Amino acid sequence: MIVIDVVLAIGVLALAWTSLSGENLFRSIVLFVSFGLLVTMVWARLGAVDVAIAEAAIGAGITGALLLACWRRLQASRPDPGGGAADVQ
Amino acid sequence: MTIYLVSVATLLVVILLVGLARLIRGPSNADRMLAAQLFGTVGVGVLLLLAEAYSQAALLDAALTLALLAPMTLLAFIRLSGARQ
Amino acid sequence: MSALAFATVLLTAVGLFFYIAGVVGLLRFPNVYCRLHALTKADNLGLGMIALGLLLQVDSPFEGLRLLLIWILVMAASAFSCYLVANYVREGPGNDCD
Repeated sequence: MIVIDVVLAIGVLALAWTSLSGENLFRSIVLFVSFGLLVTMVWARLGAVDVAIAEAAIGAGITGALLLACWRRLQASRPDPGGGAADVQ
Repeated sequence: MTIYLVSVATLLVVILLVGLARLIRGPSNADRMLAAQLFGTVGVGVLLLLAEAYSQAALLDAALTLALLAPMTLLAFIRLSGARQ
Repeated sequence: MSALAFATVLLTAVGLFFYIAGVVGLLRFPNVYCRLHALTKADNLGLGMIALGLLLQVDSPFEGLRLLLIWILVMAASAFSCYLVANYVREGPGNDCD
């Protein structure tokens, strides 16, 4: 029983670290969405079902879409480094 | 039965963390979105298993919310970055 | 162990196998289209088998209905999103590798 808690804890820490330390903005956004997913499971495991539902809706749904919209605006406002669709690094 | 279901859920979380390698490595943004989509499905599976293991039917609602809203990120990605200018 | 519990164990094990196959495919396949193929197997069959296995253990029919609803929803979402991603890769900006 405790194995799933340990795996979830390691996963949450690893996702938080990789999403904050990377240089690629898009990768960080997707990692943050995955982080929200894992936190949903943590809330479910802790028995806080209502918080898990809210986290699933906000973390995996709304925040991802908003951050991607923000990423798109950033990409459009930067001077294009040649070749239409380069990543924002 | 509870222990078996929780073990399956644990293995699912482990393979989610293994799939993280594809998300980090890329190479393209579409690959990353695909990995996120797989994570969403794995999350739904884990929540279903936990709901049955601890007989908390309310967790099914969380899984339902996740199943509904996980594709939203992908839709936003396609809609925002696929738009021709 | 009753036959019902055995069926649940078997079906969830098959579902887990499909999930593992999906992740291995995601990691090992050479391009986006192949990965898409592996992913839809995990989406449809992996979650489907797990939902089917858990369906044998539910307490009330309403709960089973919700399980089926989740499965159908995930199948529809995966079908639509995989079409969108394939279309995006084929016609979209194309080379967005870094």
